Amino acid sequence: MLEVRGLCVRYGAAPALWNVSLTIGDGELVSLVGPNGAGKTTLVNAIAGVHKPASGQMTIDGRDLMALPAHRFCESGIALVPEGRRLFARMSVRENLEIGAYRVAARIEREAAIEGVCALFPAVRDKLDHPAASLSGGQQQMVAIGRALMAKPRLLLLDEPSLGLSPLMVHAMFGAIRDVHAAGTAVLLVEQNVAMALDIADRAYLLEEGRIVAKGAASDVRDHPDLRRAYLGATEQ
Amino acid sequence: MLHWVVLATSWNILSGYSGYFSFGHGAFYGAGVYTAAVLAGTFGIPFLWTLPAAALVAALLGVALGAVVFRVRRVRGELFALLTLAVTFVLATIVQNTPIDGGPGIYLSAVPVPALAPTAAGTFYLMALALAVVTLVLARAIATSRLGLALFAIHDDEDAAEVMGVPTYACKLAAFGVSCALAGLAGAIQALFVSYVTAGSTFNITVPLTVVLMSVLGGTRHFAGPALGALLITVLLYASTAADHAVAGKAITGVILVAAVLFMPNGILGRIRRKSPRDTRDTTPTPAATPEADSAIHSVRANRGAPLLVLRGLRKSFRGVHALDGVDIDVRDGEILGVLGPNGSGKSTLINVVSGHYAPDAGSVRFAGVELAGISAHRIARAGIARTYQVPRPFAHLALRDNVALTAMFGAARRDRVQANAEAQRWLAFTGLSARSAMLPGALNLHQTKFLELARALAAKPRLLLLDEVLSGLTPAEIDDAVALIARIRERGTTIVLVEHVMRVVTALSDRVVVLDQGRVLAEGFVSEVMARDDVAEAYLGVAHA
Amino acid sequence: MTLPSATLLAQSALSGIFIGSLYGLLGLGLSLSWGLLHVINLAHFAFAFLAAYLCYQLASVGGVDPLLTLVLIVPLFAALGIAVQWLLARFSLSPLNSLLATFGLTAIVEAGIQGYWTADFRKLESVYAGEKLRIGGLFVPIPELITLALAVALSFGIYAAMRHTRLGRALRALAEDAPIAAAFGINAQAHALAIAGVSGALAGIAGVCLALSFTLTPSSIYAWVGVVFAAVMLGGLGSALGPLFAGAAIGVSEAVTMAVASPSWAPIVSFTLLIALLLLRPGRT
Repeated sequence: MLEVRGLCVRYGAAPALWNVSLTIGDGELVSLVGPNGAGKTTLVNAIAGVHKPASGQMTIDGRDLMALPAHRFCESGIALVPEGRRLFARMSVRENLEIGAYRVAARIEREAAIEGVCALFPAVRDKLDHPAASLSGGQQQMVAIGRALMAKPRLLLLDEPSLGLSPLMVHAMFGAIRDVHAAGTAVLLVEQNVAMALDIADRAYLLEEGRIVAKGAASDVRDHPDLRRAYLGATEQ
Repeated sequence: MLHWVVLATSWNILSGYSGYFSFGHGAFYGAGVYTAAVLAGTFGIPFLWTLPAAALVAALLGVALGAVVFRVRRVRGELFALLTLAVTFVLATIVQNTPIDGGPGIYLSAVPVPALAPTAAGTFYLMALALAVVTLVLARAIATSRLGLALFAIHDDEDAAEVMGVPTYACKLAAFGVSCALAGLAGAIQALFVSYVTAGSTFNITVPLTVVLMSVLGGTRHFAGPALGALLITVLLYASTAADHAVAGKAITGVILVAAVLFMPNGILGRIRRKSPRDTRDTTPTPAATPEADSAIHSVRANRGAPLLVLRGLRKSFRGVHALDGVDIDVRDGEILGVLGPNGSGKSTLINVVSGHYAPDAGSVRFAGVELAGISAHRIARAGIARTYQVPRPFAHLALRDNVALTAMFGAARRDRVQANAEAQRWLAFTGLSARSAMLPGALNLHQTKFLELARALAAKPRLLLLDEVLSGLTPAEIDDAVALIARIRERGTTIVLVEHVMRVVTALSDRVVVLDQGRVLAEGFVSEVMARDDVAEAYLGVAHA
Repeated sequence: MTLPSATLLAQSALSGIFIGSLYGLLGLGLSLSWGLLHVINLAHFAFAFLAAYLCYQLASVGGVDPLLTLVLIVPLFAALGIAVQWLLARFSLSPLNSLLATFGLTAIVEAGIQGYWTADFRKLESVYAGEKLRIGGLFVPIPELITLALAVALSFGIYAAMRHTRLGRALRALAEDAPIAAAFGINAQAHALAIAGVSGALAGIAGVCLALSFTLTPSSIYAWVGVVFAAVMLGGLGSALGPLFAGAAIGVSEAVTMAVASPSWAPIVSFTLLIALLLLRPGRT
């Protein structure tokens, strides 16, 4: 479905990407792992249209994404759960969710979609009319995922959904990601908890210093020597 | 016309150089007008004696205002502009309603014009000319002094300037004082010249707006810019008044201002200077061989290995999140200490607290035996700590050599401007940027900008260098370059704290590493030992809960 | 000092509310463009005066009912607002530079007004002028009442629209985090033009209110700047209701100062308030 080829991004001071290629099939769950500063967020933001790539190709279902302005990426069925959640803090939870369904196509079914988010994250239901800023970190993360789901995406981009959450909350979050994936949505997951990210994924990519250094089935990447080396350095034994 | 040259140039000393646009220049000008008017008109003091008084009153007013306002970090940019405008109106109301004026205004027609020239008109011309010359000379002197460079740096990035060792508060106050004193003098002369002053005609919005217009038109980053702008605008206004097209003149002034802001945000002189030669080659810097060893500092030190920086119980929270939750770290003299940890573990906060960007909530920061916790950032810089930023923060409108010279002047070494320039060239050579020393940072690529950050930190002659992810975003080849450079810095005896994610770099450079996790020290020791520990691997790679 | 009578105080407070509502109306458009577009539009005042003169021209010379001129003025000034924003958006301006550029624009408009209508005083003699209601012991002038009604209706209307319409929510999302809002399909440029249009229309409406109650001269454009800025800052940037309440508070405090002390002391109230606010209020910008 999504095909990225030879992507180069140099966006201000954000970690840069060189010649990155990646594909995501329909309904696939792909994890993107790599040490901090490798460029994971840059890649996700480029796919979401937040950063403009310098060169390369990006297509979704054969449709060219490179020429689109930022606000038209979501028409192609891409929705972003950004790093650090970035909710609209002064707006209510319900309003945040409605922004997710801003596009006309998604707007028609938005009441049902809000119901769907509440079913996935029951804790959100009681908070619908609270300001987003008043929620706990875990609840905010639920709203951020909910907001993206409101857009009825075919490809969900999740950037560090477990960052700063308690182990219990991380567990719940991964459960929800499984559910979303099981319902047929393709997911690109960026995650610092490498073990869990590789456990849940079909396939994985390892990004280091702005390049893809390993890829394949999630279990292969987990056992790949480059993974430990990238994170922990060369262990001379 | 000379009157406007003085007002615009004096305004520029604070507002143009440092970027604190004041819309209250009318207030200080007015303070001068009324000081002279009251002393000479009401009390009959000879006019020339009122001049120093006018300058003093205006300067005191400015410094008093600045002493309060510059303490509030939030009041910058447009908020400062509004605040100074409001001060003008408050002052006007007070003058209007107290015996200073009393409402009807003050006549100075009875005040004798000092006989400096055969005619009264000649005297005025002479006084205005003298003041204009003094103002321009002062403006030029400041622009080329340490203070001037500090003000330009404040304009571009005040927080970074403070961290580089610039006493920003004192610099702003000094500039404000000089600026106001000159405006006060201009006001005093104008009071005698028009010989009748009212609050309404003195404290109005026209003075600040005209002054801003002239300076922006001429160029605020050059000492002569405002004078040039004043010249152009007054000629234009006189020409249109003489030709009976005052209205057209006003409209044309408006058009010029709009055009100037949109097309020449740096003013006429700024635009001319922009045309200066620019290196278009985009080669990566090739660091030159180590410059001749400087004997004084940084040779092998006797106390190598003794703790240089000692952190105990360091805490810092942001809205209830404990970024640092009781951190104890020793940095030994002469070593490279790698600081590792997953995202959000508190590495950047650690750098920010040590460099004084944030004050710690609790705990102590002892550097070479001196407690630094809670003191201002520029004093920490002078104590001998320099840093780089993860996201480079060069002073965008300063040439590379000035970027580097600034820290040579205000950092631990405290050089004068001439020495600092030589020093800057040396460090630019060290980082391979010599060929670009006259360029602006905007012309550099990320790799070069990171090296500029390094050169800037090194020129301060720090004993301790904090490197915050200097390598992020670089290509592998560029990283190799940077690693060689950092190794050479260490050879010179500088102690380094290295926050870094690229593990091969940490392995290659660090003597020891500290791993942070959730604001605490998780592990400490040699790289290979620490990274082989299970709890460290877990912090990095996570555990599968499933 | 003897305190004035209760009736006089009440009458002062009432006139303070009236003038305050005009502060609020002028501040509303300013607040929207400052808070949501980060453009400090000094030309807002110039446009309001241009609208006032236009209203004067149509009503005094053309004999049109002043309120009917809104039919022409509102779309005209909305278009003007959009045009200016379209121009400014081509250059990425800092808020400070937007202030300078729109100051230049103000000078142009002022010169235009002076060129056509001269610097003489102009006062609209409409059917509403001089009309007064008498409620209890208080006099309520009709033109001011119209201003108050318009200011209240527009402020609350825009407040409601920002909360409950799709457009309003999109604007608030853009103001908070434009890149993320764009990722959900919100077109930042198009919405900026919409805001500028609304702001321009508000300048037009405020202008008509100015013409109803005040004598016009080209240079009095600047007389409103300080106090309206104070109302905007006090009310909170980007806020729809803030300028109205802050404007009313300033208006009343000014009017009461005038009644208790002397009229010339009035400005000190609003400006001292503004200074204190800038220095003391943490956070929120």
